Amino acid sequence: MILKAKVYSKIFAFKSLKEVMAKANEEKSGDELVGIAATSASERVAAKLVLSNLTLEDIYNNPVIPYEEDEVTRAIYDGLNLRIYQEIKSWTVGHLREYILEHKTSGDDLAHISRGLTSEMIAAVAKLMSTMDLVYGSKKMRIHSHCNTTLGVPGTLAFRCQPNHPTDNVEGILAAMKEGLSYGSGDAVIGINPVEDNVETVTRLLEMVKNFMTKWEIPTQNCVLAHVTTQMKAIEKGAPVDLVFQSIAGTQKANDAFGVNAAILDEAFDLIQRKGTATGPNLMYFETGQGSEVSLDAHLGVDMMTLESRTYGYARKYHPFMTNNVSGFIGPETIYSGREVLRADLEDLFMGKLHGLPMGIAPCYTNHMKMDQNDQEMGTLLCAMAGSNFFMGVAGGDDVMLSYQDTSFHDDASTREILGLRPLPEFEKWLEKMGILENGLLTERAGDPSIFDK
Amino acid sequence: MAVANNELEKVIIQSVLEELAKKGLLPSKGKDHVMSSASQDTPLYSNTSSEEMVTFPPLDEMQISKPFNADAVKAMKKSTPARIGIGRAGARPKTMSWLRFLADHAVAQDAVFLDVSDEFLKQNNLMTVQSAVTSKDEFLTRPDLGRRLSEEAVKTITEKCEKNVQVQILVVDGLSSTAIEANIPDLLPALMQGLKSAGIKVGAPFFVKYGRVWVQDPIANLVKADVIVSLIGERPGLGTAESLSAYMIYQPNEKTVEADRTVVSNIHKGGIPPAEAGAHLSDVVQQILTAKASGVKFNQQK
Amino acid sequence: MPESNIQTIMSVGIDIGTTTTQLVISRLTIENTASGTFVPHVEITDKEVIHRSEIYITPLSDRDLIDAVAVSKIVETEYLVAGLTPENIDTGAVIITGETAKKENAKAIIDALAGYAGDFVVATAGANLEGIYAGKGSGAAAFSVQRHQVVVNIDVGGGTSNYAMFHEGKAVETTCLNVGGHLIEFEPQGDRITYISEPAKIALQSAGQRLQVGERITLPQLRPVVKAMAACIVEVLKTTKQSELTRALLMTPTLRLEHTIRKVMISGGVADYVYAPQGPVTMMEVTEFGDFGPLLGWELKLCLETAGFVLEKPNETVRATVIGTGTQSVNLSGSTIHLQEKTLPLRNVMVISPFSSTIPDTVQGIGKAIKNEMLRLQANQSEGSVALALKGPRTMTFVNINLLAQGVLLGMEEYLSQNKPLVLVIEADCGKVLGQCINANANRPLEMVCIDQLEVEDCDYIDIGKPLMGGRVVPVVLKTLVFNR
Repeated sequence: MILKAKVYSKIFAFKSLKEVMAKANEEKSGDELVGIAATSASERVAAKLVLSNLTLEDIYNNPVIPYEEDEVTRAIYDGLNLRIYQEIKSWTVGHLREYILEHKTSGDDLAHISRGLTSEMIAAVAKLMSTMDLVYGSKKMRIHSHCNTTLGVPGTLAFRCQPNHPTDNVEGILAAMKEGLSYGSGDAVIGINPVEDNVETVTRLLEMVKNFMTKWEIPTQNCVLAHVTTQMKAIEKGAPVDLVFQSIAGTQKANDAFGVNAAILDEAFDLIQRKGTATGPNLMYFETGQGSEVSLDAHLGVDMMTLESRTYGYARKYHPFMTNNVSGFIGPETIYSGREVLRADLEDLFMGKLHGLPMGIAPCYTNHMKMDQNDQEMGTLLCAMAGSNFFMGVAGGDDVMLSYQDTSFHDDASTREILGLRPLPEFEKWLEKMGILENGLLTERAGDPSIFDK
Repeated sequence: MAVANNELEKVIIQSVLEELAKKGLLPSKGKDHVMSSASQDTPLYSNTSSEEMVTFPPLDEMQISKPFNADAVKAMKKSTPARIGIGRAGARPKTMSWLRFLADHAVAQDAVFLDVSDEFLKQNNLMTVQSAVTSKDEFLTRPDLGRRLSEEAVKTITEKCEKNVQVQILVVDGLSSTAIEANIPDLLPALMQGLKSAGIKVGAPFFVKYGRVWVQDPIANLVKADVIVSLIGERPGLGTAESLSAYMIYQPNEKTVEADRTVVSNIHKGGIPPAEAGAHLSDVVQQILTAKASGVKFNQQK
Repeated sequence: MPESNIQTIMSVGIDIGTTTTQLVISRLTIENTASGTFVPHVEITDKEVIHRSEIYITPLSDRDLIDAVAVSKIVETEYLVAGLTPENIDTGAVIITGETAKKENAKAIIDALAGYAGDFVVATAGANLEGIYAGKGSGAAAFSVQRHQVVVNIDVGGGTSNYAMFHEGKAVETTCLNVGGHLIEFEPQGDRITYISEPAKIALQSAGQRLQVGERITLPQLRPVVKAMAACIVEVLKTTKQSELTRALLMTPTLRLEHTIRKVMISGGVADYVYAPQGPVTMMEVTEFGDFGPLLGWELKLCLETAGFVLEKPNETVRATVIGTGTQSVNLSGSTIHLQEKTLPLRNVMVISPFSSTIPDTVQGIGKAIKNEMLRLQANQSEGSVALALKGPRTMTFVNINLLAQGVLLGMEEYLSQNKPLVLVIEADCGKVLGQCINANANRPLEMVCIDQLEVEDCDYIDIGKPLMGGRVVPVVLKTLVFNR
């Protein structure tokens, strides 16, 4: 394994694969905070040069966190298809990048080798890719999943309707929900973040959404994004749950801090299969995000992007219905600016897809970082072009409970129109029946939440 | 041959483990590979005494697979520094093309953002004065300050420099410190030799830090030279961070405009070689002295 | 001194071959293509042929001796027709080729043409150079650059076939085969043989044909002989392991064939029949000019096509060599010219190349190498001037250039003490600074011309003409003299 490179007249020597991975990263404030980022443009290029020359086998032999010490590493390695790995292990990372981009490589080919790629390998190749490379590569990969609707159908773009309320007020949530639906938002999930993480609140909200769905015959799925253990208790008590949710991270230590581990997730997966209300077979919903491990001080010296990739490696064994990042949510100490968010979003989309996950993106931002609405809209459009399966939908772009900004119902509809994309097929029929959508375009009635209150 | 031995060991260990695994004799932990010895910072099979390193392949390497006419591709690549004949992966550039582009960008950025080293100035006997700029960032955003001298610089020049010379030569970092370090050692002696042979009175050359082209005007007034020659680093392109220009002006005053300056640009080993440029500049300076004019006025007289 | 950026010069090419003699006058446009105060870069930007002479039979006073006086009369006549006098001609070359390229002929011609050749015309000859000039004049060299394909030009004349292989505009291989359309002479438009040359005899023997001067021959009898000769021409393109006949007819080492040949061009007198739609069908058609040129051309075409070579039509056929000679022989160069008016033109400057590989790294080392080479060639004793040819300094640093300057002064000490001009020809782009260093290091002002960015491989002599473009450049002609073959 050669860890030394020459860029013009400068020679750079790295001590480990972990260091190379970190230094090959684009600028991210979280890496700088941890002290592992490249210190000059030349060092960054040297790290990429070294990385491009390493084989997949070199990476396999050097997981960034040892197998014995971390559950996430174990999940990644135990779930790997070794036979497929053997076929490709002599490829260099540079060659893998070209393979992904070549015309003769299809989405199916990538789905195939995905089985033999570890998360570190996927992160490594993404570190060699430019903005357009990432969009180009992502676009090839279409991953389907089914809960009550089918996500990932070519030519479609779905949205989560996110009608959060600062005090979990049912009427308030319902109002925002109607708003979102009137814009065509909600085919991925109607997903609510509760202020209060307890079984009563969670059950109340789940039932409210389920009743509305039943009454109006809306083909979609409900989900309340409380802690997974709370959701599980609610399921046991009989609450109607289509999708079960949890936030996950890329190290065991970070997941512990989230209060989650493989055993719990296994149990949740089992429970939703036996007692959930949806058709499935995909019944889980994960949220992830670069920097969560840094903020929890659970990064173990590994860079943010590699850890995010490992998160996807952790997630894939549960065959989730949907997975999205929330990479601008934590703060400027991990991701400083619109520029960094955009890069993280494209990396996450690509890495998630190459893991075989039905990936969506939340190109969002908080008010204490250097990013604004224009940046977010750029991120949304790029990720949509790259084939993101879904985005969030928040009234007016402002989430009044979580105090952050995400894609609005307007952004959702605009993105569909700009790129000529449709809602998920089951949902589109409903929108047409409701007179909200016609031939893929919003009608006169769209954008008026009172259509539900005739 | 340490590498080969490690490779051989690796293959043997792997096949043994595979056998054991097949027979179910391995605990699930160490299932398929020697994972356990992968500690945090030491790679599994590191080359302890490796002098191998990764470098970029040569520029004339054939990057188009199955070219229609390989000779034509080679000739075309040779005829221009433009990045042609670099092949593709799908519709995207190949990995090496992309990494080379990034490396060139890094080098250009380093050229702009680094300073001329003190050691270089000492080796080439160049006294330093500074413009009114106080930092590299300020240099980039405040060209007006780069055109003026600091108070200390005015004092130093007034005290230390020879006055009423025919030619004063300035070495100025401008937008590329790398260009100065790469070219001055060959350019300056050639230029000085040419002027000396022609019997011209030349003041000792000195270095202006954070200087722009127009800083030659206030200096000309202090030194009272007929011709001022500024050897200044040009804005770097990708990969060519070494290009230098010579700006010459005859007796500048407050009415001086850009068109009054005579410029010779693209001095670097890939353009006009620095030593040859020095000899050429010596000719040009002599012509300017004879014509008592520089810039457009000088051209018109020719 | 006002400096113009464009100038035209008149160049003449005179081709004296085994069978025919002709001349061509061209107007060359030279321009300084660098702008403003950039280091001047002078090049030939246009070549216009303004007069093509008639094609004369080379006047011979004997079988092998050229009637030099008759040749000079031809030149005089053609100048008149073109409306020019010798004073109008700035530069050019005379090329003496084929069987007539013998020492006695060359000297006689040079003497006879002295007055007509204008201020600056030189004699040059040699089979290799002839092939190269033909290939340049026919357009093969330019084709190889524009289309990036290796082209072989074969100039098939009366007595010889001259090959030149071009790769990216450069002649990389040459050779000469003693096959030409005039090797057997006939009564014009008849069928009676009037002369059989030595090479023809060898070919006849190889084809199993017994023929005598005075005999009459039919087309079916002649064809196999001509076919055999054509096959020899083609065999040189195919392989280095050749038949006995081919080897007997080769006049120089054969082509090494180190490049794959993409296209073949034929120039010379026979070429028109190579590109004709059909071949001669009667003896009368064959012997139209008193030789078998038409049949050779046609058989050559057939043989090339059968062997799988792709023929490309040249821009010039009959006049290829003379045009090449007139337009391609001139190089323009000059970075430092410190010469008195009367010193130029310099003729027959002997080129010495003392450095075969890298330049030594000390002044003494450089001086010694030069001194040794001068000694070996007895150059110090020669009457004429000497040109020192080299690739360049060890590296392009000022220090190394200065070192080279000192080494040159040391090595040429004896030569310079005879007050002869110092002539340097360098490939690298450092002529000006090298000249400056030499001046600075010399203890007295020197007569010197320092020419850069010029390659002088395989060349024995150069001629340097009067300065052009306001003194910026001098025309340089590279030559190998016939005596050295």
